[in-house]
Amino acid sequence: MSTRRVIDVSELPHHDFDTVDPVWWGNNGLLAIETSMFVILIVTYFYLRQNFTEWPPPIALMTAPLNPLPSLGPGTWNTVLLLFSILPIALADLSSRRGYRAGAQFGLVICLLCGAGAIALRAFEFPAVKFRWDSNSYGSVVWFLLGMHLTHLVTLMSETVLLTIWIFVREFDLKHRLDLTALAIYWYWVVGIWLVVYTVVYWSPRWL
Amino acid sequence: MAQAIPKPVQLVDIELTEADIARDKREMERTWRRPKGLWGFLVETDHKVIGLRYIITAFIFFLFGGIEAALMRIQLAFPENHFLNPDRYNQVFTVHGTTMMFLFAVPIVTAMGIYFVPLMIGARDVAFPRLNAYGYFVYLIGGILLYTSFLLNTGPDAGWFSYVPLAGPSYSPGKRVDIWAQMITFTEISGLAGAIVVIGTAFKMRAPGMSLNRIPLFVWAQVVTAFMILFAMPSVMLASGLLASDRLVDTHIFNPAEGGDAILYQHMFWFFGHPEVYIIFIPALGFISPIIIAFARRKIFGYTAMVLSLVATAFIGFGLWVHHMFATPLPQLGESFFTAASMMIAIPTGVQIFCWLATLWGSKLQMRTPLLFVLGFFTIFVIGGLTGLMLASVPLDLQIHDTFFVVAHLHYVLIGGSVFPLFGAFYYWFPKWSGRMLGERLGKWNFWLMFIGFNLVFFPMHQLGLKGMPRRVYTYLPETGWGNLNLLASIGAFILAIGVLVFIVNAISALRAGEVAGDNPWAADSLEWATSSPPPDYNFLYLPTVSGRYALWSQTDKTPIVYGLSTQKRETLVTSVIAANPELRFDVPGTSIWPFMVALATAEAFIVGIFTPWAFPIGAVLAFAALAGWFFADPDHSNKKVIEQTEGHRPATQPKELRAEEA
Repeated sequence: MSTRRVIDVSELPHHDFDTVDPVWWGNNGLLAIETSMFVILIVTYFYLRQNFTEWPPPIALMTAPLNPLPSLGPGTWNTVLLLFSILPIALADLSSRRGYRAGAQFGLVICLLCGAGAIALRAFEFPAVKFRWDSNSYGSVVWFLLGMHLTHLVTLMSETVLLTIWIFVREFDLKHRLDLTALAIYWYWVVGIWLVVYTVVYWSPRWL
Repeated sequence: MAQAIPKPVQLVDIELTEADIARDKREMERTWRRPKGLWGFLVETDHKVIGLRYIITAFIFFLFGGIEAALMRIQLAFPENHFLNPDRYNQVFTVHGTTMMFLFAVPIVTAMGIYFVPLMIGARDVAFPRLNAYGYFVYLIGGILLYTSFLLNTGPDAGWFSYVPLAGPSYSPGKRVDIWAQMITFTEISGLAGAIVVIGTAFKMRAPGMSLNRIPLFVWAQVVTAFMILFAMPSVMLASGLLASDRLVDTHIFNPAEGGDAILYQHMFWFFGHPEVYIIFIPALGFISPIIIAFARRKIFGYTAMVLSLVATAFIGFGLWVHHMFATPLPQLGESFFTAASMMIAIPTGVQIFCWLATLWGSKLQMRTPLLFVLGFFTIFVIGGLTGLMLASVPLDLQIHDTFFVVAHLHYVLIGGSVFPLFGAFYYWFPKWSGRMLGERLGKWNFWLMFIGFNLVFFPMHQLGLKGMPRRVYTYLPETGWGNLNLLASIGAFILAIGVLVFIVNAISALRAGEVAGDNPWAADSLEWATSSPPPDYNFLYLPTVSGRYALWSQTDKTPIVYGLSTQKRETLVTSVIAANPELRFDVPGTSIWPFMVALATAEAFIVGIFTPWAFPIGAVLAFAALAGWFFADPDHSNKKVIEQTEGHRPATQPKELRAEEA
């Protein structure tokens, strides 16, 4: 054989951030799926509301009716905590882009604490609903909203644990720095979707 | 550490001797070697193997679904027949519908994408091979779950859409509906995984030069379908999940007594269910275009219009779901909106049909079997589309709702719209899978038996529906006068079944002694035909570049190939989304047991979850353990040592100052 015209790609890198790498597309595709889930569940919430004259339905007691609105305490503290967690995850995100290992490590450890705190606070949010999942359809759909978000908190924490172990124990390589930026997108998403869920669960029955 | 800045990709002329090629080939064969045996089955991630597995598994489920159809036709052939009892009949029609929709139609059309998208865009594998393997195992487990329960006489029996309240805890005690609900979860997880795989692959792994406006229509169809899956399938997962929870832990989402809503279930189901029809149909449109291009021997008429029609169909497809619910108490204004949308979707479909006709018009047609199936599609699908327009009108729909007219309509659109193109696709791409041609003579028999059989089964059903025969009744009285048409339909069913059998005979005899196909038996235009049949494990020895919409028809010996990817470890090229300029040398993850392990954890959660909610936390722990294994495993088991050694082969000659885009 003789000469062949080629495109020489041997100088190209193996990884790069954001839309260049397929990981970004996979990660965001999964988030699109999960966003659809939440949108449909929130539509379900308002759809079921049409079946009630009072929302949440009244809690009838022997003597006096009890305020059926969900207590704001645990949910609001959780919102504050999750909003705060944006700082450490943004630090980890930025540090991984700059290749600054200590920054990423510090950010991730704070994130783990925030995530654990959010999961713990969620345990107090369910009783604050004042209805069980099997009381009525209001109770069911609110438990589903909180529960589905809890699933994401747990998944997010699991991912963060694995990546933190890698970055402490193994190395701060480009592939896992890239993974960390994808994790950060997931983290922002979990916080962002929580703001919506929080507004729907705690404030929409007060405002609307 | 600064981020690596890619130097410009260079267009160069190099000396490539026979010895170089032989060496590269030897190394590639070693690097991409596939694992063997049972272990090999569990760890395999190659998209061709996973794709073919999906196709074969789905085809077996198609045969199962067909057997169930035959049982129903035997039962209905005569009035007051006692071949099946009512309970068994309920299970048979439910499992038939569930199988055909969830275990056959969606998996097989997306599996065609898993097999062909990387080949058509010139890549070595999909973007997420392990996710792909996971998707297959989850799908397989879901199918086995359904059929195990069916054989144990606990098959679901509330219809393929399992409406509440019939499917709710009060009217369907036992575990039958739970099995349906969890099977849905399995197949939807697998479908969603496949969609992510297809989007990542088609957006990021195209051959240099294959800009968006040069993507083959097949790939476009797969991408549009994948996006529809992202937004439609969550709805049914949620519907089936909420149904399962209503049944297991007494939530009340669909229970009207506690403020729940039964119509809500229909909304959630059909918000998925109608796009589902297009999820099945759009990939089939993607099979038709390459077949027409190949046998009309000319470029497609109106490429841009075709692509925009696909996208428009996908959008409008989300605005039609209520036309399945005209018989429920909905506001009339809403119904009118959905009538309008249902008629509007005829526009993009019409555009495509006319574009194909314009392509075929006046060309010298080669009447081979794949084209016959496409022409069969035109006939059948247009009839199905016309009855669709009839059903879109509310008064007519109310009259024939839940009659055999609807059964006729849905089989005309689904079999006409998807199964006929699919068989055409089998004939067209079988040579690529196997290296052998399917027989033309048997192919013609196959087509005509299926075409005549199909029309004999389903055309009389229109009339039966108009005469008032409801669907899902296990028998009818002789006085109804439905006997003759039912007998005719049953005879047709056996002709159709013989047609499918002819296909199987054809496939087996072709595998044994078929004519050897060669790389490109149809002289077609797209990149899958640029490699051998069947393709090597690495797909292409040197990745191709593309200089036109019809890659092989515009190829010359000046068309460059991609050089500089490692032959020592699994690499493929990642390119930019719009222009497909080279961006990364992407490490393709190799074989791994972890996708199978995560699939087992998923299976534990959803199968044991039929009986106790504690299965879910346990499943979460198991999944975490398996994902930890996945996370810490090496990206490529076959070549541990060379991971660090990232040097590719150096080109032999000095580069000229040219950028790839100018190619």
